[in-house]
Amino acid sequence: MIRDVTSALATCKLVDLIGILSKHKITGLPVVNNDQEVIGFISLHDIIRATLPNYLGIINSNSILSEFIQLSKSLREYSQHPIKEFMRKNIITINEYDNEVLAADLLIRNKIQRLPVLRDGKLVGIVTLTDICRVLMEKSENKE
Amino acid sequence: MIGTVTLNPAMDVILEISNLKINSYNKVLNAITTSGGKGINVSKAIRGYGRETIAVGFLGGGRGRMIEEELREIGITTNFWHIEEKTRSNTIILDKKTGEHTLLSEMGPKVTEYDLEMLKSIFYRVMSQCSAVTLSGSLPRGVPENIYANLISIAKERGVKTILNTSGEQFIKGLEGKPFLAKPDLRESNRVLGIKINNERDAIKAAKEIVQRGAEISVVSLEQEKDIIATQNEIWFAETDYHEIVNLIGAGDALIAGFAITLTEEGKNLEEAIKFSMACALASALREEEEFSSREEVEKCLKCVKLKKL
Repeated sequence: MIRDVTSALATCKLVDLIGILSKHKITGLPVVNNDQEVIGFISLHDIIRATLPNYLGIINSNSILSEFIQLSKSLREYSQHPIKEFMRKNIITINEYDNEVLAADLLIRNKIQRLPVLRDGKLVGIVTLTDICRVLMEKSENKE
Repeated sequence: MIGTVTLNPAMDVILEISNLKINSYNKVLNAITTSGGKGINVSKAIRGYGRETIAVGFLGGGRGRMIEEELREIGITTNFWHIEEKTRSNTIILDKKTGEHTLLSEMGPKVTEYDLEMLKSIFYRVMSQCSAVTLSGSLPRGVPENIYANLISIAKERGVKTILNTSGEQFIKGLEGKPFLAKPDLRESNRVLGIKINNERDAIKAAKEIVQRGAEISVVSLEQEKDIIATQNEIWFAETDYHEIVNLIGAGDALIAGFAITLTEEGKNLEEAIKFSMACALASALREEEEFSSREEVEKCLKCVKLKKL
């Protein structure tokens, strides 16, 4: 688990969220309330999907350039909107003492990159597939 | 969970040199880069003892990300606000031949009003997970001197015990928030609230004045490993009977960590808290390395602490 609880409030503006993602060099983060309880998750994909619904579907097509211009216009238009308009509310989380197999299963089955880790419903960290691979590698090295 | 606030962290670069010559070529024997800042040091000491801690504050640029990474690696939870300007760096030159330490300290980055609002928002949320919080160290540019008083009010609103450890005007303004425990940082001037600390009587006077201004407990360092602790009704004199100190850097932060640990443990009284905190400071002072002491090292030092009620 990455012991980082960087998160955003649902009232955070889209422009501010993009600032946080870019400074932390991450692609998504949990959305919390004032008690650090996770109420949603938002990623760059969620933002793109919400601001320009067709974009991800046509990303490989010849029209990518015109769509890209449209995307940048949409982002500017939505920049002052709160992220609660774009976040996923049906969130998948894991508890602190659940094992890495369950974490890997949740990440792969749900095709997500980052899994919020909770203790008593409050955010205590994030798990990514990279973390799980590292733990598994360390375990196999120890066995050898 | 114990929270720590470091508003002006630093990347400490420690260069070991033999016989430093100014205006000349000097070969570096060993170079160590580590995260620094009083609050971060408190978090490291708490983690060394095996307790959970979360570090909050401002970081910026590549140095900021390196600090964050290092803290997570040693099991400290992070929730920093990243600012535009980069985190400062402190260069410490240790002359192995003369034993002299030279510190070159960069000015902190500039923080905006927006950054401050974001930090307060993070702090409010993080306090929902904490039972105590320490507010330590200097302020970067752009941060008002009453910031610690504001943060203490937020923490108290959420039922969190607060420990203030800083110097100068931000210490005096911080007392207006009425922290649970306050310890002035005397490294720069050996003076607090207009009182120059030269002897035990001065330290007692300062400790009483700090309590008078709103802290429930005050701690004033008299000299190496000697402290005066005051409350509204009691005054204690604490010292250690171990005198082979090797490294005083971080000992004050370990002392603060000790208070934060005991103040969040059920059923501990002030006497136990003082003994434990002094043991944390001594264990840190006995280590040559920059790392913080383990639970075993702290427990061994408990028997070296002498406490007297005045």
